[in-house]
Amino acid sequence: MGLLSTLLGRTKPVQANLDALFALPSVAITLQSAAGMTTSGRAGVCYKPPTGQGFADMQAEVTKLLSLEGGETLRTAEDAYGYHWVVIEQADIDTLVTQVHLVNSSLADAGWGPQLLCSVFGVAPLPAGEGDGDGAQVGAGRVLPSTAYLVYLFKRGTFYPFAPDGHEHRDTAEELKLKSLVADDLTVEPELDRWFPLWDVPLG
Amino acid sequence: MSTARNIPSDRGLTLRMFTTGLLLVVLYGAVVGLLIAFGVSTVVVLVFAAVILFVQYWFSDRIALFGMGGRLVTPEEEPRLHGVIDRLCALADMKKPRVAIANTDVPNAFATGRSPDTAVVCATRGLLRRLDEAELEAVIAHELSHVAHRDVAVMTIASFLGVVAGLITRIMFWTGMMGGFGNSRGGNNNGGNDNAALVELGVLVVSVVVYAISFLLTRALSRYRELAADRSGALLTGQPSALASALVKVTGDLSRIPTRDLRAAESFNAFYFTPAIAGRGVSLSTIFSTHPSLDTRLAQLARIEAELGRPS
Repeated sequence: MGLLSTLLGRTKPVQANLDALFALPSVAITLQSAAGMTTSGRAGVCYKPPTGQGFADMQAEVTKLLSLEGGETLRTAEDAYGYHWVVIEQADIDTLVTQVHLVNSSLADAGWGPQLLCSVFGVAPLPAGEGDGDGAQVGAGRVLPSTAYLVYLFKRGTFYPFAPDGHEHRDTAEELKLKSLVADDLTVEPELDRWFPLWDVPLG
Repeated sequence: MSTARNIPSDRGLTLRMFTTGLLLVVLYGAVVGLLIAFGVSTVVVLVFAAVILFVQYWFSDRIALFGMGGRLVTPEEEPRLHGVIDRLCALADMKKPRVAIANTDVPNAFATGRSPDTAVVCATRGLLRRLDEAELEAVIAHELSHVAHRDVAVMTIASFLGVVAGLITRIMFWTGMMGGFGNSRGGNNNGGNDNAALVELGVLVVSVVVYAISFLLTRALSRYRELAADRSGALLTGQPSALASALVKVTGDLSRIPTRDLRAAESFNAFYFTPAIAGRGVSLSTIFSTHPSLDTRLAQLARIEAELGRPS
């Protein structure tokens, strides 16, 4: 923050950085070949809904646009902290990333970038006997229940792993394992105190 | 489409804050000039004042926490408060401050610490008990804005002059009481004594005036910084009405409790959500108070609400 902003007591809303999302498909391949894991086909966009009709209208527009685009399931949820989630289910990782990007960029283009908190991608172990043997296929070809998550922080342009383990407990070992797996493909958030937990992530 | 980005900054508020700051700087210059002109042991007073303020500034987090009985809490102890702060910090792209809770039923919150790296945000049990999620988040966003604006540093520097003037007044008063005006610097001839007495009386009067002016200016600056924190906080959450409702709830509660043990909290270098001592409803009290009146704050939040909700 600059001296002038400090003297005048002003903060600029931080804009979101969206491009790093497109590194995810290569992460899916790495996860599959190195750890027998895959992206679960579920992703969520989390944002703080501001007051007013302007935002509500746009939110409705985006969800309509997405439901028109494909037959995949789309739902919205609200978490305990008053943040809204758009949850997308789509087994194909490329399409999933494109659609998450669409939600994000619609919000950012309309000027609501500062309200974006994070995007979350589910990660799951690959069911035995699926996905391997066929080098061309990425993922299980269907949506799986997520066991861990890759969280993308818009304001930082970085990812961090989040592996909840029972009630409000993190599996740190699993997170560090995921971190080392994805570190080549993604920018991992270097400051560990920004790896905040998302206990009630409504991805399933 | 109405956009968060296109909300203009509040020029009036910026201008008032800038003017107040400028007047303080001018006052600084005048006082230093006067001190040198009158040949008071300038260095001693300045160094003394600087040391006091430096201690207050450097240990602001510990002093305020100690004074309020605040205790640092881990995420496991207070998942709800930590969760709110985690998310707001990610939204604002700022470093997460330390989190503390004060075991008092007075509903309030404050932020302190000399820099964003050493910042502490403290909420009281009373606040956590009374506010719902959205209101708590709004209050925390207000406190995080104080951290981002570096208000502890700004207000410490701004209050420097007041402390100097206060010190001079006191020193002059003591020396005057002890040896009578004019005798404090040893025997000269009679004419010299008279002059010295006049000079010292002059310094005393000037110090009192400077003290009064700088007191009013720092209070004004403090009120503007509160409004600025309200504004940034409301824009961060995008929900000015939640902050407004928290203000109404907390202020209503605050004025109903006895002020005796609250008074102890008044002098700390920390940024409370609402003043520990509520105004007594006299019109003059507004220029002495550290926080803007509830009406002013609610009016500003209503304006932001209107800006956010404006359709395309």
